[in-house]
Amino acid sequence: MENAKEDYKIQSFDLETQKLLKTALKEPSTVDLEKVSNVIVDQSLKDQVFSKEAGRICYTIVQAEAKHNNGNVFRRNLLNRLQLEFVAREETRLRSLQEWVCFVTFICNVFDYLKVNNMPMVALVHPVFDCLLRLAQPDSLNNEEEVDCLVLQLHRIGDQLEKMNGQKMDELFYLLRDGFLLREGLSSMARLLLLEILEFRAGGWMLSDTAQKYYYSEVTD
Amino acid sequence: MSFRHKSRRTDKSFSLVDLCIIVSRNRGNLKRSNYQKRVADGSMRSNEDMDSTSDLKNSNDNHRNSIRPVSFTTPESEGPVPRCTDWESEVETDEMRSSVRCDMQRYRRRILAAEFGPRERNNSSGSSDSRDSPVPGEVMEEDEEVLMRRQKQITYGKNTLAYDRYIKEVPKHLRQPGVHPKTPNKFKKYSRRSWDQQIKLWKVKIHAWDPPAQEGSELQAIDEVDLDDVMDIELDFPELDPDSSAQTPKVINSVPLFFFIKMMKIDTSVDLEMS
Repeated sequence: MENAKEDYKIQSFDLETQKLLKTALKEPSTVDLEKVSNVIVDQSLKDQVFSKEAGRICYTIVQAEAKHNNGNVFRRNLLNRLQLEFVAREETRLRSLQEWVCFVTFICNVFDYLKVNNMPMVALVHPVFDCLLRLAQPDSLNNEEEVDCLVLQLHRIGDQLEKMNGQKMDELFYLLRDGFLLREGLSSMARLLLLEILEFRAGGWMLSDTAQKYYYSEVTD
Repeated sequence: MSFRHKSRRTDKSFSLVDLCIIVSRNRGNLKRSNYQKRVADGSMRSNEDMDSTSDLKNSNDNHRNSIRPVSFTTPESEGPVPRCTDWESEVETDEMRSSVRCDMQRYRRRILAAEFGPRERNNSSGSSDSRDSPVPGEVMEEDEEVLMRRQKQITYGKNTLAYDRYIKEVPKHLRQPGVHPKTPNKFKKYSRRSWDQQIKLWKVKIHAWDPPAQEGSELQAIDEVDLDDVMDIELDFPELDPDSSAQTPKVINSVPLFFFIKMMKIDTSVDLEMS
């Protein structure tokens, strides 16, 4: 079914794996769910496009498994893998910035989609904040890749995160203000991204019309 | 314990202990293959109690780079919550907590209904736990910790193939009291011992619906055989001469039978083909 490909962005997988994923979505009890979760996590760490939307397919599989046989094998494996990767995040960052950025994107996406009783998973709140706080450190702010990741996540889940723990969000934004004002080596792009996110949050997690025009309109010169 | 655990549906294959061992072994060099070997191992979480992870917390803390409080109070919890276990357990606990709270509200409503309409019988087809009609004015168990513990025990009993087969075979409205197992009511006030005993007896009753065992599992099961299963073994022994098999029903409930079977296993390597 072609819409599965589009909906879940699984084009980057080889055909056999795509088939596995499609089966997992429809009949989770017939596949090795541990393998499925590993496949998804592995790909999320490599493929930036996939990492931005992988949460969705995870959520569907979790729901399907719960409905079919009240199981949670997939979710358990997924969370365990995530937790492992989280614990090793510093090493990952040193080894490969891209993998680190993919990981943060993925875990935030999981936080966004994998709700429990329509609430975000409490277990993920601190880990997600830890990741974002790491991205707000001086050395990370020097990398546009990391700043870009940081502001993207805040755009997507900032309001939810703040509801779960306002104090931590305040802490994060102290760092962002400091970073914007005090870091000398920041590129203009990084400064632009930071300024925008500061305004975004100040506006209640949305941009005013004028700000929207400033940041996102084509500048005709 | 292998026979009983085989009838469990939920595969608790990855425990916090594994997580800590892997992390400590692979610090600085995450070997994913190690992780996969572990999981294929299928080691069961040995102690289901949340508190068992408290001594693991210390080793876990060493592996976290961030400085975080030892325990914290979340909006949902009353009082400090020990810092954690693995994420999945946290999520499962949260889920259980909200479902217990939901159950509590429903039960309270039933108490109110009972107060106003004593004739009202709620044949709840959708509810998962059996609840005896609440007696108006009866004090219900409200301690969340107790309720969560009880609910966990109930969930473990229901998460079995035997229970699955039972509920498929016997619809609720056809259950006969005494004959058919009934889930203990977690909202009633019972002492700890009384409750644990009720759960034990309930689970034993459910075993009557255990699926017929397959060939591989029997030899392992020999050490743990229930009296129910013993009866099956007796009837199917082909090697016994007719006289002794006629005698065995008499000794079915006595201890020597286990030794008898063990001896058979050692001496004659009987192929126990249970239908």
